[in-house]
Amino acid sequence: MSLSFKESRRRTASAFMYALCAASTLAIVTVLLMVAGYLAWIGASSLSWNLLTTVPTGDVANPGGMRHAIDGTIVLVLLAAMLGVPLGVLAGIYLSEYPEEARLTGPLRFIADVLTGVPSIVVGILGYELLVVPVSRLTENSISFSGFAGAGALAFIMIPIVARTTEEMLRLVPRSYREGSLALGATRSQTIFRVVLPGAFGGITTGIVLAMGRIAGETAPLLFTALGSRLLTHDPRQPFPSLTLQIYTYATGPYPEQRRLAWAGMLVLLALLFVLNLAVRIVAARQARGRLH
Amino acid sequence: MPGSVSMTKTPARIETHSRPSTPVVRPIPQADSGQYPLIDAIKRGETPEPMRHESVQSVGQILDIRNFELWYGATKALHGITMPIAAGKVTALIGPSGCGKSTLLRSVNRLNDLIDGVRTSGTIALDGKDVYARNVDVITLRKRLGMVFQKPNPFPMSIFENVVYALRIAGERRKSLLQEACEKALRQAALWDEVKDRLKASAMGLSGGQQQRLCIARAIVSEPQVLLLDEPCSALDPIATLRIEELIIEIGRRYTVLIVTHNMQQAARVSDFTAFMYLGRLVEYGRTADIFQLPRLRETEDYVTGRFG
Ligand SMILES: Nc1ncnc2c1ncn2[C@@H]1O[C@H](COP(=O)(O)OP(=O)(O)OP(=O)(O)O)[C@@H](O)[C@H]1O
Ligand SMILES: [Mg+2]
Repeated sequence: MSLSFKESRRRTASAFMYALCAASTLAIVTVLLMVAGYLAWIGASSLSWNLLTTVPTGDVANPGGMRHAIDGTIVLVLLAAMLGVPLGVLAGIYLSEYPEEARLTGPLRFIADVLTGVPSIVVGILGYELLVVPVSRLTENSISFSGFAGAGALAFIMIPIVARTTEEMLRLVPRSYREGSLALGATRSQTIFRVVLPGAFGGITTGIVLAMGRIAGETAPLLFTALGSRLLTHDPRQPFPSLTLQIYTYATGPYPEQRRLAWAGMLVLLALLFVLNLAVRIVAARQARGRLH
Repeated sequence: MPGSVSMTKTPARIETHSRPSTPVVRPIPQADSGQYPLIDAIKRGETPEPMRHESVQSVGQILDIRNFELWYGATKALHGITMPIAAGKVTALIGPSGCGKSTLLRSVNRLNDLIDGVRTSGTIALDGKDVYARNVDVITLRKRLGMVFQKPNPFPMSIFENVVYALRIAGERRKSLLQEACEKALRQAALWDEVKDRLKASAMGLSGGQQQRLCIARAIVSEPQVLLLDEPCSALDPIATLRIEELIIEIGRRYTVLIVTHNMQQAARVSDFTAFMYLGRLVEYGRTADIFQLPRLRETEDYVTGRFG
């Protein structure tokens, strides 16, 4: 049977759409692979054990390693998480579990969504005005850039993300858990902390780790808060190094050896993020398997 | 062709009405045919006096529902329900889907309070005290009542922690006491032998029937005064259903049980009293044997034999 004109035109259009989608995807993947390949190519040539273990020498021809920056990023992210995770999770609980407060939670949810989209340079300036300048006044130091200020700015980015994912994950917990617990005479907070939160544990953890990955890659919020440092320090009261800041400094500088180091630093940062994402996937897969039972 | 449809339909109707009724096979009555005066009145929006057998009044009551009404927003779901519930007996609630059985059950432990826009009037007295009185603490009230839901809902924790949950939230920390209570409840729920070697394992790994028995164990661990069961077998296969039914009969010897069921045989097997509900009203209420063998209303007789509803 021959197809009617309309029908064959419909099929041609469908095939054309498919080709268009496939081609776009292919183009994106190709560009991504080229970028990753280029980065790996240049970065790998400067990768060395020294990069991971030594700190800057001050010699532009032989600039040393990035140990200080790797430690700095890890410390900053952990500090930010110590503040951002509890606040974010609690806010998420509030958004999800207290529907009778809708007049408050509605606007709060909106604010959280807006905050998630605030440009990170704005967070950096805000951090400077709120966390650096006042401390300088208090301590009468000339200027108080510090790891704490950097971590605070990162936490500011983290909180709305964690709050919203926590809320979404809590909403996925079946109503029957809540009713079952309340029917046994549990209070609302007992129900939330003993039954609902454990029921959403996997999803919330995933959200937290993804948020940590996101802030680990931030530069702008740290520019005017942590400032960066060439010293290996674990004292967050001091100006604090981070991978992103060090990459920024080296990559925008005039010295070729430092620029090579910046590429290597990017590779290290991406490797860190990759490991984080892998961890998330493993946790999520475990959760999925747990649910199948 | 609209003409032919009405042609075939009209004679069929006439035939139904003109056929002489015999005591053995009665035709399925049409709505408003005058055969169901009570249900016809209910359908007109009235709340007629239900057929309440004398047998339900004479027994000792633990729950006394009086003129209870409930609204979901503007919709009235329960109309003037008055029914005493016998202490230490199993009472079954039956009726077509949407007639308010779950609503009534959830009114007893005030689980409906969680739903926006729910209003009530009338009283439900537990041990002589209205659970809707102003000074009643809902948390304390719910601790005196156990509830099992239609779908098994074990919590995402170990079998042991599921069972002792009610004790944990009451602040009990003594390990030996928790273990004892756990074993006792699991034995009563006929689950002990199957899980005694894996109390630390996740409750999610149990079969549906086991999960439901776990939920029963969880509901009876703190020895509630009344056990509320909302279609506890509807998500289970026939064998698991049979086990739960045996369990309900067994538990019914020790506890007051109020059970909602869609299964007539189940109501007949497990309960001492049966209440038939329709569109948010009580229709007939009496001993289970009477309701199933000597119902006083034709409505009830036809419903329990599956001819209507
Ligand atoms: N949360 C709710 N909001 C509004 N209306 C509701 C709500 N829950 C139940 N209803 C309505 O109240 C009536 C009684 O519902 P209920 O769930 O008590 O019936 P049921 O007898 O348990 O039915 P089933 O046998 O299907 O479980 C129904 O008309 C239902 O639509
Ligand atoms: Mg129901």
